[in-house]
Amino acid sequence: MALSSESNLWGAEAVIYIGEFLGRKVVIKKRRSKQYRHPVYDTIFIQTRTRNEAKILAELYAAGLKVPAPLLVDVEKGALVMEYIEGERLSEKLANIEARELVEMAWDIGRQSALMHNRKIYHGDLTIANIIYSGRGVYIIDFGLAGYSTDIEEHAIDIHLLQKSIYSLYPHLLKPFMESYFKAYREYYSGSFDEIMYKLREISTRGRYIDRELRRSVMRERYVG
Amino acid sequence: MQKIHVPVKLPEGVEGKEVTVLGIESTSHTLGVGILRFSRGSVEILANISSQYKPEKGGIHPREASQHHMKNAPTVLREALGKAGVSMRDINTVAVAVGPGIGPCLRVGATIARFLSKYFNIPLTPVNHAVAHIEIGKLFSGFNDPVIVYVSGGNTMVLVQKNSQYRVMGETLDIPLGNLFDTFTREIGIAPPYVVDGKHAIDVCAEWSQEFQPLPYTIKGNDLSFSGLLTAALKLAKEANGDKESLGRVCNSLRETAFNMLIEVSERVLALTNKKQLLLVGGVASNKVLRWKMETLTSIYNVKYYGTPPDVAGDNGVMIAYTGLLLYLYGRTSKPEETHVKQRYRIDEEAYPWL
Repeated sequence: MALSSESNLWGAEAVIYIGEFLGRKVVIKKRRSKQYRHPVYDTIFIQTRTRNEAKILAELYAAGLKVPAPLLVDVEKGALVMEYIEGERLSEKLANIEARELVEMAWDIGRQSALMHNRKIYHGDLTIANIIYSGRGVYIIDFGLAGYSTDIEEHAIDIHLLQKSIYSLYPHLLKPFMESYFKAYREYYSGSFDEIMYKLREISTRGRYIDRELRRSVMRERYVG
Repeated sequence: MQKIHVPVKLPEGVEGKEVTVLGIESTSHTLGVGILRFSRGSVEILANISSQYKPEKGGIHPREASQHHMKNAPTVLREALGKAGVSMRDINTVAVAVGPGIGPCLRVGATIARFLSKYFNIPLTPVNHAVAHIEIGKLFSGFNDPVIVYVSGGNTMVLVQKNSQYRVMGETLDIPLGNLFDTFTREIGIAPPYVVDGKHAIDVCAEWSQEFQPLPYTIKGNDLSFSGLLTAALKLAKEANGDKESLGRVCNSLRETAFNMLIEVSERVLALTNKKQLLLVGGVASNKVLRWKMETLTSIYNVKYYGTPPDVAGDNGVMIAYTGLLLYLYGRTSKPEETHVKQRYRIDEEAYPWL
């Protein structure tokens, strides 16, 4: 396997290598051992995350979602080999995008997140840095924080994180993006869309010292509404 | 006494000025008065006196805490002035923490500050408590643009400065780290007192065992959630049935998990922003295990690390005085009758000219 390192490029917990595997360009994600962790904890942490990520990728890939195909996993070593997605991260792509393209892309992300949530899977770190825009469409990557849950809270948090990441980098694109995103999400999501929207609003009031009136009105609705 | 160079950008023409500031802190369990003098771009800490409310049982009781502050304020104030060797006539501005914090406690400090300001005809400077924690850390470290990890009883945040504002990159979605440790140790019956000789009850208990067992680990993007961890740890502690070693294992695992969650978020923010300094501030910054973890983390990335020393890391009057000084130099004073406390004073709601 030919390797070249792109460490630190895609997150802090793992080193990313670009390599070739059976004639295909691949990404190798190798979770690092960290001195600051208790040794038992370090092992559990690396293995659980690797196993989890591989499992979720496999399930989503099989379900036809645009995620990197998992090719090989070594849980003991904390290594995961997956398909390389050629393209640009959304966090960069959005800097220079046409209105029509934005709407189409947001729609597809909305559709894919709904399909993911329908399978009771949440991403856990759904930001525009973890979505790749490629010639073949938009791909969601990095399922290191993903998990299984039937709690719609986790689904709403995914959407909340996505909103937050767009807002912090491209505040002017938030509205058109989310409008299109929600249109698709509503169409594909099998659960209650209204509940998701309600949860979303509640989550935004959770940070500490948030505006009192906003928090109060959410609380009031919880008991009275 | 030691003079420390002010590491942030000051307005022009203040170089030759000499300013003496009195700072009052009363946002939570600590009543503190700090006095410092600014001259030629450096500050000198003249006094740092405080008195802490220590609940006999349970957590902080707002009324009891505020009564403690009221009762002790004259002594603490007098002691600080005596230690500094200055009188109220020498003070150029009274700075006070107006939030975030516990309402009744905040009101004690604000009332004293308003009174001093009126009676001695000195400008009043309102200060955000959280900003003060960071600024004092920056003063001691000399850092100008760090990733800031702010951990205390009431706060857990990872921040960076951008466009003259502090920006919260990640924060707790439910309980803060200090509160997690306090609640857990209280529930299992080994606290209060929460801190003895600079050591938290959780650290004492964690030494009873070297073992680790997995507990819920919750990170959402860069945000943290500790409530599931607390519930699970409490359940296991109950099952320990008073067995010291099993309880030690729970404490050790709880501390390890909570700290690692914070480290992971800090690491992600470091990787994301590519900053080369990491600053640990707030009361929990005194924790030796956390300091060690942060130091180890920064050494991997070749990032400079600084942990604020305990006497200025916990709530204190000096940090309020220092931040008050910066605000005062930029003309950000306020009239006593217009100075109100803000229990939910967010750190990211306003811009600071020196950032």
